[in-house]
Formats: sequence, C-alpha cells, structure tokens
Amino acid sequence: MKIYTRTGDRGRTGLFSGERVSKADLRVSAYGTVDELNSVLGVLAASLGRESARTAEGVRRVQSDLFRLGAWFATSPDTPAFEELPALDPGAVAWMEAEIDRMESALPPLRGFILPGGHPAAAWAHLARAVCRRAERRGVAFVQDLQSAEAETTLTRAIVYLNRLSDYLFVLARDLNRLAGLEDEPWEQGDS
Amino acid sequence: MKVYTSVVTARRSLSSSAFELRLARPAGFTFRPGQHLRLLLQERQRDYTMTSGPEDPELAILVRQVPGGWGSSRLAAQEPGGTLRFTGPHGRFLFRPSPRKPLFVCTGTGIAPFVAMARSGVRGYTVLHGARDPEDLYYRDILVAGADGFVGCISGAGKLEEAGLFSGRVTGFIKERLPQGAYDFYLCGREEMVRDVIFLVDERFPGSRVFTEVFF
Repeated sequence: MKIYTRTGDRGRTGLFSGERVSKADLRVSAYGTVDELNSVLGVLAASLGRESARTAEGVRRVQSDLFRLGAWFATSPDTPAFEELPALDPGAVAWMEAEIDRMESALPPLRGFILPGGHPAAAWAHLARAVCRRAERRGVAFVQDLQSAEAETTLTRAIVYLNRLSDYLFVLARDLNRLAGLEDEPWEQGDS
Repeated sequence: MKVYTSVVTARRSLSSSAFELRLARPAGFTFRPGQHLRLLLQERQRDYTMTSGPEDPELAILVRQVPGGWGSSRLAAQEPGGTLRFTGPHGRFLFRPSPRKPLFVCTGTGIAPFVAMARSGVRGYTVLHGARDPEDLYYRDILVAGADGFVGCISGAGKLEEAGLFSGRVTGFIKERLPQGAYDFYLCGREEMVRDVIFLVDERFPGSRVFTEVFF
C-alpha cells in the first residue's frame, strides 16, 4: 500500500465523516496531537527494560485507547460515521485511577514540583504527560465549539480520559524513576 | 481473524479484461455493502470488494485481469469446484445516507462497492463510471435501475453518440457538466483519480463530503 496520495498537498484533509477541512482546523489539531502523544508513548515503550512488563502492557493499552479517541476527534457529530465509532472503554479511567493509586502507594509523598527527567523511560513519560496536556487543551478548544449536546457529552468523556491520562503519566514517570533506583529531583526555587 | 474456505461456484466473463467470480457463502459470514474480502492466495493476499448484496446466497467479486498479474492470473484459472481461502469482511467504505445527493465516482473495477450498494437497496445516486471502452461498464443495468443518473466516462474512444456516455475522464465530466452544489462524493479507483476529484471538490463543491477507497 502506498503511503502518499498527495490529496493533502493543498492544506486540506478529510475527516472520517467525509468533510474536507483545513489542516489548521481545531479538530485536526486535536487528533494530530493525540497521534503525537501515541508516538511518544511508543518511544517510552521502546525504552522500557524487560523487567517492566507490567508498565509495557499498560502503555500498550493506552495506545489502543488513543486510537479510538483519535477516531472520535476525527469524526463530526450527527453523522452516520459518528454513530458507528467504537466505544471508548468505559473502564479505562477507572483502570488508570487504580494504577495511579497502586504506584503512589510505593512512592514517597510529593512535597513540591519535581524536574522532569531521571531515567530515560521516566523522561519519556514526562514528555508524554506534557503532550497529553496539549492534546487535552486542543480537545477542549474544539469540543467547546460543538453544537450537538449528545456529541459534546461523548467527547467530554474523551477529555476526562486525557485529563486522567496525564495524571497517570506523571505518576508513571515517578514510578519508573523509583524502579530505576532514582529519587525525584525537586525544583529548588532559588536555582538560577 | 477467522479464515473462511469457500467453493467457487461460477466464473463469468464481463469484458475482455474483467470477470466475476462467485463463491459459496460460508455459514455465518456477513458483510455490509462496500466491504471487501482478503483472499489468501498461497503466501500473498489480495483484496476484492464484494459486488453481491448482503442478503444474496452467494458472494461475488469483480476481478480485473491484469496481463501477467500474479493474483488475477490465479483467479482466472479458477473453475467451479475449486476452493479459495479468505478473511473478512474488511473496510469501512460504506454508504452513509444524508440530505446531500450521493455521487458514485469510480474507474474500472472500482464500480464493485457501488454494485453491492445498489443490490442492497440504495437508491437516488448518480454514477460516473470511468472506463477506456464502453464494454468495461460492467453491471450498468444493475446500477441504472436505482440511479438518478448514470454516465459512462469513456477515455479511450473518440466522439460518442450513445446516450449516457461522456467522451473523457470522470474528472472532465465533473469539471464540465456537474452542476454546482454540495454532494456526498464516494470515490473508488486509482490514487490519481481520487486525488484529482478531491482537488475539484475542494475548489468547486464546498460543503460536500468525500469518502474514498483507493486501490493501486
């Protein structure tokens, strides 16, 4: 299968629901950022050692969720295509919250800001968390423009998912440093 | 993914370069018009869209015989009683009803999904079928029956006198004859045609939607 079709060469692209829109459209920016997030998670997964099988499984689960979420963002509401989208896993947020609680129980209490970094896998998790926040901001921007209340409700679930995912990635970064024997590096306000 | 094995029940020539292959429908196999099978031919795979309706007792696929083509040569050699293995259904090139007028635009065997849609009861569409020769307007009678319009766009001939034929490519018809408006464009064919029609939609038919199935 050829990758290039040149149909996007003039700055426009097609949504799953068929509309042709500018690549500067809020919706395109949102699902493009979800794709970017998924790619960063791919790097994170690639940087994990064999001892991190549980984390790798969790990251793969999130990557699959993000494909579904990207499809929701790439489809206009009130269209037949929107009706046919695979459902977002209703248990996904609860799973992330359980994972956050599990990881936090082994971590020292957080007493301030920490510098993103440490072990390479933890550093990738921090980057993923920052990209996730951007995906959330862009998702919020276009969901606020929607006219359909039903679609807004559905897509609001996607925003909830991204919000919880960024929390999960923050705690995951700390947990990966803990597993690597590294402590959080606190931000010292006096540093210059 | 489940692998089905099916018996070939018939092979019917549609033109000098295309034929239809009919397969017994395996128990439990369902699909939606516009979806395709993935034939497992020895170590290679080939995708073919079903032309049969979803309720038909048999499955039918449309095959363009490519001279020296690895897959089409093997399918052309199939006789009734032979077997084929496949997975499916695959694909999301589905008819999506809307207030806009549906326009089915295709070249060659790209007509296949629209035949399945017509056989499933879709009505009120206009077909632009591009072909080099009028003999390659396969399934024309089936499509005309449910169409508001059918235009065979013939690129390999001179001036055409027959009603329903346009001398030129589908893109030529869209540029010269298609009234302004918002349509649901369903495009199935080679990448060049799909790309050129999308550019025309962007330039001339604002508010339209475009659904594509590209084959190479």
